[in-house]
Amino acid sequence: MKFGHPAVASGEALSPQPSASERVREDMAAVASLERDAELMLRVREGDEASFSALLDRHRAAVIHFLYRMVQNQAVAEELAQEVFLRVYRSRSTYEPTAKFTTWLFRIATHLALNWIRDGKNEKSQESLDQGTAEGATRQVADRLRTIEQEMVYQARLAEVRQAIEMLPAKQRAAVLMHKYEEMDYSQIAGVLGCSESAVKSLLFRAYESLRARLAHMS
Amino acid sequence: MECPQKSGKAIELMMSYTAGTLEPEKQIELERHLPICEECRRAAADRKAIWDALDVWRPDAISEDFSARLYRRIAEEEAAPAWRKLLRMPWGSLFRPAVPVAAACAALAIEFIVKDPLIHRHSTTTLPQKISIEQVERALDDMDMLKQLSAPAPAEGRASERI
Repeated sequence: MKFGHPAVASGEALSPQPSASERVREDMAAVASLERDAELMLRVREGDEASFSALLDRHRAAVIHFLYRMVQNQAVAEELAQEVFLRVYRSRSTYEPTAKFTTWLFRIATHLALNWIRDGKNEKSQESLDQGTAEGATRQVADRLRTIEQEMVYQARLAEVRQAIEMLPAKQRAAVLMHKYEEMDYSQIAGVLGCSESAVKSLLFRAYESLRARLAHMS
Repeated sequence: MECPQKSGKAIELMMSYTAGTLEPEKQIELERHLPICEECRRAAADRKAIWDALDVWRPDAISEDFSARLYRRIAEEEAAPAWRKLLRMPWGSLFRPAVPVAAACAALAIEFIVKDPLIHRHSTTTLPQKISIEQVERALDDMDMLKQLSAPAPAEGRASERI
């Protein structure tokens, strides 16, 4: 990765950006997906456990990955994710599709993650970025296509990114993770965090500026 | 397109552009603008560099027994006694409106108790005040004065009233 992306330096647009028609197709698929989530949850409300399994399959990975990047501990992330879906299940009888299902889901997840961070448990159980862990070994086994040198560079960059994210204030961290990795728009992030869109934009701006300061050398 | 740096919209525009969430029309306009504006081009490149750096962080694999463990916990909860289920209910959503109402009632009750003169009158917790000799003398003088005012008027006074 070099500063001054070749395409940008020559005056061409940053690529690849989806075309307008691709964006429309993606938006239509997203709308259909959202309606499907509400439909499934309403069936869960009526006692359909298979619909709950379907919702779990659809959203389990996203919730766990989000929580993992928030708390930076896979075991804790999965434990918190279990609690998220347990709360969804417990609330099934009172569910009303007043907001997007994913907004509700990530609101619960963010709430649990922020509580966990606030309680300071991350000081006791967070895996050290410098230590090799079983999970790290798993990552290395999965990436055998890289040379040893490439793997070392990758791990170093990964550690820097993780540390830069960890140093963000908790709400900025949550906003960036939802914006970057969950591809949520400002209004949905605002719904999750319980704040205005302008507050979300402010959070994101400050977060990305902090990340730019810490990760600029990587470019 | 007016340069975003001059219009003050560069930050939001670049964030959305980098995330691929910019409206199609604005995306086209911006991509036409970038080749002619070095400042915007550099800002976009900076954003993209961070975006690419964050892409390094790919998630780990999820435990294979995650769903099984969740279903086991659900089954345990379902089999739990009724009182334990009650504890786990989302009482927050039920009690949310009740809490401020209860707080308001408590505040009114306290206000009423504090300001109610009957309660003050019947209070037996008042501390005895220290009374000075001057206060006693003043009180006695006042009582004497009141006695004189309530006593029948002397003859001279009556005579003057007649006039």
